[in-house]
Amino acid sequence: MIDWSAFGIVAVVTWISAMLIVTAYSFGVRLLAVAKDDARSTGLSKAGAYFCFAVAGLIVAFGVVLIVPQLSEALLGFSSSH
Amino acid sequence: MDLTLIVVLVIALALFFDFTNGFHDTANAMATPIATGAISPKKAVALAAILNLVGAFLSTEVAKTISGGIINEDPTTGVAIGPAMIFAGLMGAVIWNLLTWLLGLPSSSSHALFGGLVGAAIVGAGFASVNYGVLVSKVLLPAVCAPVIAGVSAYLCTKLAYAITKRQSGSSPKRGGFRYGQIFSSSLVALSHGTNDAQKTMGIITLTLVASGLQDSDSGVHLWVVAACAFAIALGTYTGGWRIIQTMGSGLTDVKPAQGFAAEVSTASAILASSHLGFALSTTQVASGSVIGSGLGRKGGEVRWGTAGRIALGWLFTLPAAAIVGGLAAWITHLGTVGVVIVAVLGLAAMLSIWFVSRKQPHGAETTMSDIDNSGAAVNILTKKQRRAKAKAQAQQARVAAAQKEADNS
Repeated sequence: MIDWSAFGIVAVVTWISAMLIVTAYSFGVRLLAVAKDDARSTGLSKAGAYFCFAVAGLIVAFGVVLIVPQLSEALLGFSSSH
Repeated sequence: MDLTLIVVLVIALALFFDFTNGFHDTANAMATPIATGAISPKKAVALAAILNLVGAFLSTEVAKTISGGIINEDPTTGVAIGPAMIFAGLMGAVIWNLLTWLLGLPSSSSHALFGGLVGAAIVGAGFASVNYGVLVSKVLLPAVCAPVIAGVSAYLCTKLAYAITKRQSGSSPKRGGFRYGQIFSSSLVALSHGTNDAQKTMGIITLTLVASGLQDSDSGVHLWVVAACAFAIALGTYTGGWRIIQTMGSGLTDVKPAQGFAAEVSTASAILASSHLGFALSTTQVASGSVIGSGLGRKGGEVRWGTAGRIALGWLFTLPAAAIVGGLAAWITHLGTVGVVIVAVLGLAAMLSIWFVSRKQPHGAETTMSDIDNSGAAVNILTKKQRRAKAKAQAQQARVAAAQKEADNS
């Protein structure tokens, strides 16, 4: 009756995806802070920061694709609500 | 019974339920960005309203059963959920939603709806009409799992965010940068809310139209139904359940940008994972769990367990309380058209009195904003530059005063 494996999968997927986004964004915030303080290699830090924000943005964009049925049908080939 | 009257009443009440669903759930997406000052309250509710509107139009798959299997709706062996029963169930859900809003408690609108329908079904068709196994696996278990999954996620993410941005040199970590991220993460929550929750009302209205023979069972949802539901939920969202926003944004814990970001990302991930992997979780319960988790994750963060307990108590009562109202309404509707009119009048009176009570202590965008401004001023920490400038000014003042004193003495 109670589908424990579905519950486990939801929990693990939630934790992994949330931590991926937060890790990427946090490194971006850190690199921006470094770029602001250090006189040397500002460009590199900044580029790294924007790369991190882009990674976080991509994961969020994937979330939007999952939310919008029309997009997930077009890009992933299936619409998966419920 | 006059069929058109009850159909019109069901549609009106369903749209009002959609509206209460909207303003009850604005907090899920927007309480934390408002609390950290990532976005101003007025702009936050406008953004959430637009995303809910867009989300409602995007959602295509509308529920095929009203209760999602909780009530035995099998065409041969089960109960036929007629318009009168739906009307009674909706009445229970709406009144419970308004009552929890008055108390500032975030509670699940879908659980209120299930509760109302369960009560109406028990009164209308006996205790056997409810699938109690489904009730446990679809309502009770998720109510425990949702805050745990989201809370653990937000706890880990908050720890992670603080650990990664910590500067060994002691220079500023500039965690305010998380505010920009918050705008995106909360928008994601609002969009997914629109695609999920407006569907429920569309399903109810469509099934009512089919049941009363006003629509073919194999035709899809009418455009006017989609549009009406989309605008009802967006309008509700824009009205902003400020009481609940206050509870979620500052009642549970004091949220800082990094925590807010961690909480929203956890909420969005949990909702997306659950709606795509088949274990539906309540948005409200996920969001509340995330806020608590983020409060536990920050060093020195404090969770007000009294408020958390009040919220949990509200969840516990949601289903039975809505069921009692729904059951009572179903019992009165047995009188026929007169009964339906009595329920409508009594319900309207209850809603109006809740609204009048709420007028006594208004919670608008202004009070929410000023509370947050005050708490912001209390914890305002000067930047290094400001501290240095302040010290310099004080030293200068002291020097001037000393020189003045010397001059006076000589």
